[in-house]
Amino acid sequence: MANIKCTNIRKSYGSVTVIEDLNLDIPDHEFVVFLGPSGCGKSTMLRMIAGLEEISGGTVEIGERDVTRLPPGARGVAMVFQSYALYPHMSVYDNIAFGLRRQKVAETEIAARVKQVSGLLGLEQLLERKPRNLSGGQQQRVAMARAMIKTPKLFLFDEPLSNLDAKLREKLRTEIRRIHLDLKTTTIFVTHDQLEAMTIADRIVLMKAGAIEQQGTPSEIFDRPATRFVADFIGSPAMNFRDCTVANRGEVVELSSGSLHLEVPAADFEPLADGTIVEVGLRPSKMDVAGDGAHNAITGRVVLVENMGSEGQVVVDVDGRDMSLVTKAFRSLSSGSPVTFAIDADSIHLFSKRTGRSLRKAA
Amino acid sequence: MQPRRFIFWTLAPAFGLLAALALISIAGALYFSVMDRSLRYPDYDFVGLYNFERLFGDRRFLNALKISALWEIITVAGSLLVAVLLSVFLFENTRSATARNLICLAFLAPVLLPRVAAAFIWRFLYSPTLGLINYVCELVGLGQVEFLASPSLALFSVAAVDIWQWGLFFTVILLKLLETLPKEPIEAAQLDNARTWEIHAYVTLPMLRAPIISLALVKAVESLRSFDLIFVMTGGGPGTATETLDLYAYQMGINLGGRVSYASAMSILLLLITIVIFTLVWRGIRKWAA
Ligand SMILES: Nc1ncnc2c1ncn2[C@@H]1O[C@H](COP(=O)(O)OP(=O)(O)O)[C@@H](O)[C@H]1O
Ligand SMILES: [Mg+2]
Repeated sequence: MANIKCTNIRKSYGSVTVIEDLNLDIPDHEFVVFLGPSGCGKSTMLRMIAGLEEISGGTVEIGERDVTRLPPGARGVAMVFQSYALYPHMSVYDNIAFGLRRQKVAETEIAARVKQVSGLLGLEQLLERKPRNLSGGQQQRVAMARAMIKTPKLFLFDEPLSNLDAKLREKLRTEIRRIHLDLKTTTIFVTHDQLEAMTIADRIVLMKAGAIEQQGTPSEIFDRPATRFVADFIGSPAMNFRDCTVANRGEVVELSSGSLHLEVPAADFEPLADGTIVEVGLRPSKMDVAGDGAHNAITGRVVLVENMGSEGQVVVDVDGRDMSLVTKAFRSLSSGSPVTFAIDADSIHLFSKRTGRSLRKAA
Repeated sequence: MQPRRFIFWTLAPAFGLLAALALISIAGALYFSVMDRSLRYPDYDFVGLYNFERLFGDRRFLNALKISALWEIITVAGSLLVAVLLSVFLFENTRSATARNLICLAFLAPVLLPRVAAAFIWRFLYSPTLGLINYVCELVGLGQVEFLASPSLALFSVAAVDIWQWGLFFTVILLKLLETLPKEPIEAAQLDNARTWEIHAYVTLPMLRAPIISLALVKAVESLRSFDLIFVMTGGGPGTATETLDLYAYQMGINLGGRVSYASAMSILLLLITIVIFTLVWRGIRKWAA
């Protein structure tokens, strides 16, 4: 087990720079998720830490040891791939045992350890099978067993659940989490699925175009997005954005756009000049149906209601543009009817139009 | 017309012609093998299995059988060994695509040469007095080596030419196959602490088992037809050191003896042996690969 330290990491393919001057510290035992849209460099970053991709500049340290120039096998890391990457001609047992055999571990010990990890992952009945006779979920379990048996200092997962169906994905996600609670091995988990990231991570590293956009716990990322990009990327349904004009009213700042009038405490935000246009972000899950007189009330006409079981997503027409909210009280709403809803001032986000950065003062 | 019928009728003439040609020559050989036809006498008679009986007492025939078997083993194993080693070496040590393609092009050249041309080139290279190879041998202090005239070396010297042609060709095929393999299992093996040779021995080559077996079978069939190469390089000599079955049949039937029936019996026997051995090998491989 070990902490990870990436310093000034750079990666270029020819003249194209994919990752530029990235710094990252991961403490021991932490479960970190690299999250970001496709092509932002998550896999590249992970593969550089694993040693599968050459590092163009900077250093990687695993457990206080500089591994920048070490081959993958010498770094003490184990990786689980999206495509499982099992050795197709070997039985499940041989797949799991392969790494230990390369380290010349005695066969009796190998047998004991295979028995142990296969028990942990429910693979005892499958040890004689070939990978092609396993389902996707079983194959990914074998891949995890193969990674675990080496007792690595660091686990790397590159979108391990993306090829599985939703139900299995949830199940394996929980299993991975539970294994981490058990073994406490430092883990980096790559995904483009924000919900997966939110549920599994101790800390999310949100990436955009080869740079870290924000890092923090899932609630920090969700409740205090540092940029408009983060606010938009996290959460489903996506955050509602409106361009609003600023008017200072002493203790409060008034934000207005058409029929929309919101008030936020001035002390929470950087000073804003009257007349500035800012982008206001309203999270659907932070809004709820309210009475007409409620603070920060918004009125509109229901466009459609989507039943999601215990909650419903309601799309409301406000000044000719859609705005979503998620509410438990969706059953009383129907298309065409007027509705009033409100948002807590603490959940209103302001972003600079110019830089996209959040205008909220750091807590 | 229905597609099936169309396919049938367009293929039928060509298949019919091929079948007729194959069957007629086999029927002819069968017919002559039970006669005592010889070019020396105009008439001939039915002699039953006499020719076959004589074959099993013919030491030169048994020698040819042994040489043929050796030739098969050396050329098939040699080509594949060269191909496996070279393709893995190139896979690991050439990074740029252009360099690789140029090497592939160069490796394809030998197999494009007509066998007779290859044979003449190498006969010249092997030549004791003029040959480049002997010049190098002298430089490194081996002295003059009689590559084609020494009974113990001749078969290997000729096989080297065959391997030069086919081993390099198979190298290109294997290299391209290695390139098509998914990267992840190789990377997983790297992370599993496997050394380069272990990655290939335990992961990539087993993944390519089926195509490698196919190459071996293709080469085994191809090696049966090396008459031209051996004929030009050694003519079966020195003595009978490189005389395979087809060379001996040729010497008996056409060149020296004109004993058509004896040679026909030999080719029928060769056909039978080939069918039996290939069937057994095929069965064995299928069981092993399953
Ligand atoms: N071998 C390569 N050559 C050139 N560009 C590459 C190569 N591999 C990845 N890239 C580029 O690097 C960027 C990051 O890729 P990747 O790390 O795979 O993204 P992610 O995993 O976040 O989807 C992408 O824009 C991709 O096009
Ligand atoms: Mg990726």
